[in-house]
Amino acid sequence: MADVKCAFIVQRPQYKGETSRLAITHALAYQTVEILLEDGDTVTPTLCFIGDGVLGLTKGQKAMETYGITSTETHLKNCMLVDLHILVCKEDLERFGISPDALPDASEMGAEVSINVVPYSEIQKVMEEAKHVLFF
Amino acid sequence: MKLGVLVSDYRLCVDTLERLQAEKLGLILVLNGVYHAVLQEGGESSALLQKTPHIFALKEDLLTRGLDPQQVDSRVKVLDYEGLVDVIFNEFDKVAWL
Amino acid sequence: MGVLTIGVFPGLVGNMAYDFALKLADAAVKKGHKVNIWFSGNAVASVKANQKHLKDYSTGEQYLKSLLERGVEICTCEACNLARGIHRQDAIEGVQWNAMHWYLAKIFEADRVLHIGGE
Repeated sequence: MADVKCAFIVQRPQYKGETSRLAITHALAYQTVEILLEDGDTVTPTLCFIGDGVLGLTKGQKAMETYGITSTETHLKNCMLVDLHILVCKEDLERFGISPDALPDASEMGAEVSINVVPYSEIQKVMEEAKHVLFF
Repeated sequence: MKLGVLVSDYRLCVDTLERLQAEKLGLILVLNGVYHAVLQEGGESSALLQKTPHIFALKEDLLTRGLDPQQVDSRVKVLDYEGLVDVIFNEFDKVAWL
Repeated sequence: MGVLTIGVFPGLVGNMAYDFALKLADAAVKKGHKVNIWFSGNAVASVKANQKHLKDYSTGEQYLKSLLERGVEICTCEACNLARGIHRQDAIEGVQWNAMHWYLAKIFEADRVLHIGGE
């Protein structure tokens, strides 16, 4: 039995390109990877948003209404519903004047985890502890 | 950690790189990242070259751009694809692409 | 020898990071390593068969076939393909089709992962 920890580092804003969205959907796939692994083996991604990657995470998104696509807000809520760890860089939020209160939460849907706003040093630590680091 | 970062752009990834720390950090210049190995913008060589002593540049990407592998900054080691594979497996315990 | 898993997200035409990924895979195989390649995002269109090699455009098909023949596992994101109107019957033979968890499974077994983002 083994667990492979991965740091998914999102450094580009949501919506213009596909990469930052794919970071979230690939991280979400951790809940079904066990069908391809031996019993007890797991892959645990931690989804981290830094730099311009903190843009496009706030509540109130209308992507389904405007472009007919699932919003990042919905994807983040889905992540929280499957207990995925999500870290957002505190310094970068402050730099852009975004309040942590503007980030979505899925507690009303039954999620037991929420988005954690942390200093960059915490995200650096996640990269150090991960076996693999993937920048999106 | 021993982290090898493949730098594929001249400007776009620099702010991410500035914050990145590792016990052993390698910068592997590929695609447009190879300009860090040769340009003297405003008369100064790239600040990235001061970030670590472990800097490599991909020969094929220098040659593609008409850059002479003999003319890169003396701090940069030029390697080919097979050399790059060796660096990825032997010099670092994880690699990332910027 | 080690296991290298490469995630490739840039498109075949329009981004030379794709060409880089295949050349790196080729070199790793030559050195005796096991290589896995996952295509997602715009990279998935590169699994379409019958690509015409025009000199102003990169081509992936010859490289992919050569890598497949030498034991490289190549898998493409099924949803990304379907969203682009590309179907399995149009694809290069030997390329696997699966969901994003395939990539995570190959990350699990890898000694090194090189994730090449799409932008």
